[in-house]
Amino acid sequence: MRNKLLFGRCIDTGSWVHAVDPRAKLTAMVLYLAALLAVGSWIPLAIAAAFSLAYMLATQIPLKYFVKAAKPLWVLMVFIFVIQCLTVDEGVALWQIGSWTLYSEGLSKGLIAALRMALLVSFTAILTFTTTPGLLNQGMSGVLKPLEKIGISAERLTLMMSIALRFIPTILDETHKIVKAQAARGADLKELPWKEKGKLLVSLLVPVTVSAFRRAEDLVLSMESRGYLIGAPRSEYHLLVWRSRDTGFILSFIVLVAVVVVLRFI
Amino acid sequence: MSGTENAYELHQVSFAYESEQSVLDGITLSIPSGSWVSLVGPNGCGKSTLAKLLGGLLAANAGEVVVEGTVLNRETIHQIRPRIGMVFQNPDNQFIGSTVEEDIAFGLEGRCLPREEMIHRVRKYGDKLEIGHLLSKHPSELSGGQKQRVAVAAILAMEPGIVIFDEASSMLDEKARGELLDIIKEMKQSGEYTIVSITHDAEEIMYSDRAIVLLDGGVAADLSPEDLFHDDALLQSCRLIAPYRIQLVRELAKLGVQVPPLQREEEVTEALWQLHLNK
Repeated sequence: MRNKLLFGRCIDTGSWVHAVDPRAKLTAMVLYLAALLAVGSWIPLAIAAAFSLAYMLATQIPLKYFVKAAKPLWVLMVFIFVIQCLTVDEGVALWQIGSWTLYSEGLSKGLIAALRMALLVSFTAILTFTTTPGLLNQGMSGVLKPLEKIGISAERLTLMMSIALRFIPTILDETHKIVKAQAARGADLKELPWKEKGKLLVSLLVPVTVSAFRRAEDLVLSMESRGYLIGAPRSEYHLLVWRSRDTGFILSFIVLVAVVVVLRFI
Repeated sequence: MSGTENAYELHQVSFAYESEQSVLDGITLSIPSGSWVSLVGPNGCGKSTLAKLLGGLLAANAGEVVVEGTVLNRETIHQIRPRIGMVFQNPDNQFIGSTVEEDIAFGLEGRCLPREEMIHRVRKYGDKLEIGHLLSKHPSELSGGQKQRVAVAAILAMEPGIVIFDEASSMLDEKARGELLDIIKEMKQSGEYTIVSITHDAEEIMYSDRAIVLLDGGVAADLSPEDLFHDDALLQSCRLIAPYRIQLVRELAKLGVQVPPLQREEEVTEALWQLHLNK
């Protein structure tokens, strides 16, 4: 198989985290994000890290998958770290090069910010690793339902999301094919200077976009012939039942937010 | 609805995407319930457009399409649509769900079927199409042939009376194509379906009951596959090549060796052995 670790890929180990209601998981992720935003020092970070680790272990998914999930964003993490190091001028001066001084606070804040980012990405991977896209959609439509009161259709939003998730791998695959086709005609992306690469990317964008539209057209026909009508009533294949475990799951995240926030203000 | 004899009756149907250029012009034909009809013709002759008209995805500019006794129009389409299933060419682009079972369930959800019934049908048609072991798979983990089986399962699960195959086998390899043909044969045998197949595949045409030849937006011929493959001029204008056994039987006939027209290659071989023994 080509890309073993696709975005949105569910790894089924049958753990209890897999069985948690997707609505609970989505809500929990928002709470987790809030908790991480409130983390400002080492102790809350350690607490959040331990909390994350406990849940990652509970999924029974090998930890290396979570590390892999965070990997693509390492540039961003390094960037955040460097920015903090360059701009913060509190604490003890550690190191001096020319007019720039590295302060202890800058180092510590940079590390915290970068680690926070790593935690966020790898932990939110729990959501996609433990939930099939179908359940995720249904959870999403459940969570977004209140939006219908202000005239936003949850059904349309989730349909868009699910089709995007469904076609990302297909379109990526096709992009690879076009890159290869162009390389076969002498336009090898790898060997060109940056400026030329940019130009070639534009010429890549056109066929990919055209074919995406063609796919969309086919998909519309297929959906229409299967009787799909926006806004028409539908029954649901996946059954979502809220259990006390789901409430407990959310509560654990509320506790995390509370602890982190309290630690920040004392 | 099922009492009527014809699945389709088309009277003087015309269609144009742009008003000057008509794609279909004055098509009149009927397709009896329970039959298997091949729609053939060169690229650009309007086959796929006709398929979309038959599927109710496009509306005719003139003339009428009657489906099982009901005239197809804006008011009746929602009543007729559940009777018609369509399988398209590209297996990837008709895979809506993110797993096999979700894809089969997609059409059923639209029918508002109770959950138990959906689960029952997903299992039933999954097993029937031999994809029961793939139900939890993502489309990227399936081969083209498997995806096309999913497409057929998703259509049959909605239990339509008419199934339209729009070049459904043209993107498949030889083996998968043979498997899809076997599925269509089984569907025909069950007697539950009217099958309309748009195809370039000689083998598939051979097994159907009738071939309707479209040329330049009109019906050029409506004949048995046997007759089609003996009409060189027609074959050439459709850009078709007769199956090998037919070519062989015809060449033998020219040499004075008579072999009756047979459906399968093995039968022809058998007949030739018989001739050889009787010599």
